[in-house]
Amino acid sequence: MRIDDLPGELLMWVLIGSEVAVFAAGITVMEAVRLTDPAGFATAQGMLDGRMATLNTALLVTSGLFAARAERDGGRAGLLLAALGGVAFLAVKIAEYTADAARGVTMEAHPFFTFYYLLTGFHAAHVIAGVVVLVLVAIRPRRDTAQAAAMFWHMVDLVWVLLLAPVYLLG
Amino acid sequence: MDPLTRNWLWLLALIGATVALAGWPAALLAVAFLKAVAILNGFLHLTRASGWLTAFAVPLGLWLAAIWALHAVG
Amino acid sequence: MKYQTQRIALAYIYVALALFAVQVTMGLVLGYIYVDPNFLSEILPFNIGRMLHTNALIVWLLTGFFGAAYFLIPEEAEHEIHSPLLAYVQLAILVAGTAGAVITYLFNLFEGNFLLGKQGREFLEQPTWVKVGIVVAALIFLYNVTMTILKGRKTVISTILLVGLWGLALLFLFAFYNPPNLALDKQYWWNVVHLWVEGVWELIMASILGFLMLKLTGVDREVVEKWLYVIVATALFSGILGTGHHYYWIGMPAYWQWVGSLFSSFEIVPFFGMMAFAFVMVWKGRRDHPNKAALLWSLGCAVLAFFGAGVWGFLHTLHGVNYYTHGTQITAAHGHLAFFGAYVCVNLALFTYAMPVLKGRDPYNQVLIMGSFWLMAGGMLFMTFVLTFAGTLQTHLQRVLGEGYMDVQDQLALFYWMRFGSGFAVVLGAFLFIGATLIPGRREVIEPGPVVRHAAE
Repeated sequence: MRIDDLPGELLMWVLIGSEVAVFAAGITVMEAVRLTDPAGFATAQGMLDGRMATLNTALLVTSGLFAARAERDGGRAGLLLAALGGVAFLAVKIAEYTADAARGVTMEAHPFFTFYYLLTGFHAAHVIAGVVVLVLVAIRPRRDTAQAAAMFWHMVDLVWVLLLAPVYLLG
Repeated sequence: MDPLTRNWLWLLALIGATVALAGWPAALLAVAFLKAVAILNGFLHLTRASGWLTAFAVPLGLWLAAIWALHAVG
Repeated sequence: MKYQTQRIALAYIYVALALFAVQVTMGLVLGYIYVDPNFLSEILPFNIGRMLHTNALIVWLLTGFFGAAYFLIPEEAEHEIHSPLLAYVQLAILVAGTAGAVITYLFNLFEGNFLLGKQGREFLEQPTWVKVGIVVAALIFLYNVTMTILKGRKTVISTILLVGLWGLALLFLFAFYNPPNLALDKQYWWNVVHLWVEGVWELIMASILGFLMLKLTGVDREVVEKWLYVIVATALFSGILGTGHHYYWIGMPAYWQWVGSLFSSFEIVPFFGMMAFAFVMVWKGRRDHPNKAALLWSLGCAVLAFFGAGVWGFLHTLHGVNYYTHGTQITAAHGHLAFFGAYVCVNLALFTYAMPVLKGRDPYNQVLIMGSFWLMAGGMLFMTFVLTFAGTLQTHLQRVLGEGYMDVQDQLALFYWMRFGSGFAVVLGAFLFIGATLIPGRREVIEPGPVVRHAAE
């Protein structure tokens, strides 16, 4: 097990490790704060729409497949399709946030919602960044840049599958 | 079949499992673990780096177990 | 000295050491005012002494960073500095600006004048004309070193140093915005102060430390570069949103409490990385460099920065803790060890390495310089412990039991006396360092002992 064994740019792995660590810490804190008010947290979580989140998971892993193919073949189409998947994810997210706000789910309404918006919002910010990176790389695709963009995109994917259960589903 | 496509189908199957297992925290977290490993392995190619999958998967597994424990006591 | 223009660093080091002397002397005076509050209260009110203590620190550290850049950029770029004249002009502007700021503050000249009067913001007190001067000096500097690097070899060390120094200059622009809304004022103020010391300064520190490790241990450049990448990435990752830990109680939205707690908790990672880096390099290094004093300062820097910035920072960064400890002596403990460990030590390490090179001699006065390290580091650690105990007591008496601020201060007198004593050791060490660095004694190369020889085989 050597540093050089890691596939791709080392910096991307530092980033992946850091991101996973930060999100994991955030989720842990949320679960810890939940102990102070389990019933309130359960009620608050019940107000979220898990179906949209599950749909978004499918969108992200499909988009991840395109990114992985682009990484292998160096194709522009794969990168743009992956970016399109990210845009679809964001569209669902906006619809979800709008519906949330209409139901009174706001940042200050309950501590759970503070974590909900911080965690998913921070993740969505990474989706936006990922879409931008994918599109920029697609302008003039190179093997190394396509790989770095795809790695970033898989990180966004990875963080999302770890967020999904604790934030939306555990109940 | 293309290994990338196979990995994608496996991830879709895991999403199906997530839907089916709703309301069962331990199983949901276990499925989350499998999804994470699938991404690390199939998309980030950690299978090609000996030892590194363990280095990522073991802490992730322990952390998910801790989340389950925190959830169970609450 | 391979490149003639490295001599520019000498002038910067002299100015930095002079301000270092002013800074620690003021610190000692302030330490005494804590135990005898009326001392010099007419001539040198506490706020002026404190301003001199903190601003002299910032200015000498910056001067040291500039000097470090002028010293290491030619070696890294394998090219003479673009324009030595501009480098001296830059130094002259900085010295004139510093003198102007001190005099304006001391006599409160042109009170209320936008351009000429002081601005009552901690660390950013400088009148506007001095701030403009700082920006001009920074632009001259960036032009000069960027041109040098563009003409020469591009290395990871010089690139990281340059990114850090560009960031430093750009972030200073926030200092020009002084909104009347106090919450906004504080927010922008932290955008300078925090993003300097917990952001771009860490890049500067990492690149200087990387340069020293490269020279002192002879480890391959590729290995050093890999470490630097990781350190810099984790520093920026944690440090930028870590700014949130200053937004807890200044009127910003409450979610900053979680953002700040979460990200700033990770700020310990780059400091741990730097400590691991320094020790692994020494462990792996094959070169037996004669300048043992510079090596001691470098290792000391990495260790003390980890404890001062990393551990003592984490101690009170979570908002649940900070709610009680905010602005107590805990902050003073952290501030002292963090600044000393991270930025004072890295500067002194570089000075210790550079001075013999610049003077074209073998390393000199090594025993004295090592002695100064133990005096300063020992004094600073004792001060940190004392202030931490004082802060814990203060938090309990004042924030938990609700006693009055001054009543609590009275009960901390014993700690303040001990702090004064430890401060005396630090000042002694500082003057020992300055003397031993400026006045070269006899040639003094420390031969490795038999045990060391054996271990290196």
